[in-house]
Amino acid sequence: MSATTAVPSLAFGPSAGRSALVIGGGALFVLLAATAAVTLGTSGIGVGDAVAIVVHRLTGIGPVTWPASAETIVWELRLPRVVTGMVVGAGLACAGTVFQALLRNPMADPYIIGPAAGASLGAVVALLLPVATAGWLGIGLVQTLAFVGGLLTVLVVLAIARGRGGTPVVTLLLAGYAISSLLSAGVALLIFSSGERLAAVISWLLGSLAGASWPRVAVAAPLIVVSFTLLLLRWRRLNALLLGEGPAAHLGIEVEREKRVLTVLAALATSAAVAVSGTIGFVGLVVPHLVRLVVGPDHRLLLPASLLYGAGLLVVADLGARLAGGVPVGVVTALLGAPFFLWLLRRRVTGVEDRP
Amino acid sequence: MALRRPAFLTSVALLFLFGLSACATAPGAGSPPASAADSGPPPSVAPSAAAAAYPVTLTDDTGRDVVISAEPQRIVSLAPSNTEIVCALGACDRLVGVTDFDDYPAEVADVDDVVIAASVDVELVVAAEPDLVLAAGNELTPSTVIEQLDGLGLPLLVLYPESLEEVYADIELLGRALDRASEADALVAGMEERVAEVVAAVDGAERPLTLYEVFHAEGTTYTAGDGSFLASLLELAGAEPLTGDAQGVLDTETLVAADPRLILLGTASYDQSLADPDTALATVSARAGWAELAAVRDGAVVPYLDDIVTTRPGPRIVDGLEALARAIHPDRFGSDQ
Repeated sequence: MSATTAVPSLAFGPSAGRSALVIGGGALFVLLAATAAVTLGTSGIGVGDAVAIVVHRLTGIGPVTWPASAETIVWELRLPRVVTGMVVGAGLACAGTVFQALLRNPMADPYIIGPAAGASLGAVVALLLPVATAGWLGIGLVQTLAFVGGLLTVLVVLAIARGRGGTPVVTLLLAGYAISSLLSAGVALLIFSSGERLAAVISWLLGSLAGASWPRVAVAAPLIVVSFTLLLLRWRRLNALLLGEGPAAHLGIEVEREKRVLTVLAALATSAAVAVSGTIGFVGLVVPHLVRLVVGPDHRLLLPASLLYGAGLLVVADLGARLAGGVPVGVVTALLGAPFFLWLLRRRVTGVEDRP
Repeated sequence: MALRRPAFLTSVALLFLFGLSACATAPGAGSPPASAADSGPPPSVAPSAAAAAYPVTLTDDTGRDVVISAEPQRIVSLAPSNTEIVCALGACDRLVGVTDFDDYPAEVADVDDVVIAASVDVELVVAAEPDLVLAAGNELTPSTVIEQLDGLGLPLLVLYPESLEEVYADIELLGRALDRASEADALVAGMEERVAEVVAAVDGAERPLTLYEVFHAEGTTYTAGDGSFLASLLELAGAEPLTGDAQGVLDTETLVAADPRLILLGTASYDQSLADPDTALATVSARAGWAELAAVRDGAVVPYLDDIVTTRPGPRIVDGLEALARAIHPDRFGSDQ
């Protein structure tokens, strides 16, 4: 980030040493999580073989001493799943952080103004079409319609909420809630009439990384990475918005334009994430809070840290889900994250760390 | 105010999922089939007239064309019914992966499980290095899993028979896939013969309006779906099936209005309180609106313990048909069982 120090009041985070610790720790967490997820699985491929397969595929180095099935499992099943988990976790945590700042609402998550409901409707419609949709655009019609549905919903909500004097946050929230309810009713109606496709619909709605593949990574990952990179670069504006829209405007932020840009970028990351993973809860809501409790509200550190811990948490949770026989990954994210979060919250409430 | 997504949707989804998993997992929990003695003679093992010419292109039950390049030596079965067909064709020793519900024939207990708690472990399927994967249709094998295995280039046949004729056709299909066409012919001929005997035995008997209970949740009964395989078996066994909608859902009002003369509790295979005739009658009488049903007043509520063979579309489906006919028309079968 080419941070000029022209507005020093907007950089109020912890010391450089602590920042390095948080970011370094996050990067290490992601690396360890990814390594564990690539080397562990139900089929009992040796850890050494799994590492050797990845090295061999990346560099061509080393003799092939493993069966072809092991290479398929590591390279075609586990690795795309791990990469998907990383970008989805990063995208959701980043979008959640942005919505919490933008809407100044602690209950905000990436889905709050409608992308999940829109994506669900798109996906369920595609699932119920009586045609083979798997190969559509190389990624599947379900994924395509989920992405379009999610993004379109947010654009509609933005358009509805926009009045003469701009887009008030409360109107945005309420419009998002109303549109979500409407779309959810559509989804419920489709669930009710889904007949023999019910199991496919439910398993999509529960969220899973099991369908990960390289073609889907190739489409979703760039969308998410570009979105969160652009969001990271806007940390200064997010910090300004934390002060309130009036003060932010006085600091020279074009508040109305900024709200729309941030919303669209966060919705882009969220829609792409939901398209390849379904609606996975918890990561986008709690990871930003968790990181904020540790590093404080400065987005220069909060955004990249949330992104890293979101990525690591989702990869670990998905590994757990995989080893536990395919339980929904959202269940594992909550089981892993909620107790830790509560402990952190309680510690903060009782002020343990502030005692002399 | 609550700014959450409507929790209602999640609740609905979970409810459906619960209902679904209860149906899906039930066969694993059942008692062993009681009618093993009824099984016909093992299929003749006449050697195939001539080695089939591989590669052979087959069309599965979802219309996919699948090329089998050589006689399959490593077969993964993702459904108990598929397993039973493979074994009935004498290829049990080629199975390298089955489900944890598989209970017949007994030797499949030694084969590694690749489907655990109704969830296909794709990694285990690939690790088994199969040259033929036999999936089930109608989301019993999730379509996402079928797409994934297909994408990895594994030869995969989806079997989803919805009638006796389609069971026969699937046996013939596997006969061609495994180069056991004559065994398949013999197996099908034996099944057809036994079906004809059942039809003859119940011929001319009064056909009682019969409710077959597949699953029961508060106020809703799942029974044979309209036009379903189970409904067709009930008809062959000499009953007039009381069907639900296409998914087998029957609400209590419709049930009371129809007033069945006979109730077969397929649920008894999985619910101890329904397995004993007296407690079964007490249990169903306690359900709202059921006490006044003719079948309940007459005590014609029969714990039916052969649910697995009756609802598993493999070679033993004929055992299931015979068990149904005995339960519906005990007088027509005398004491020869």
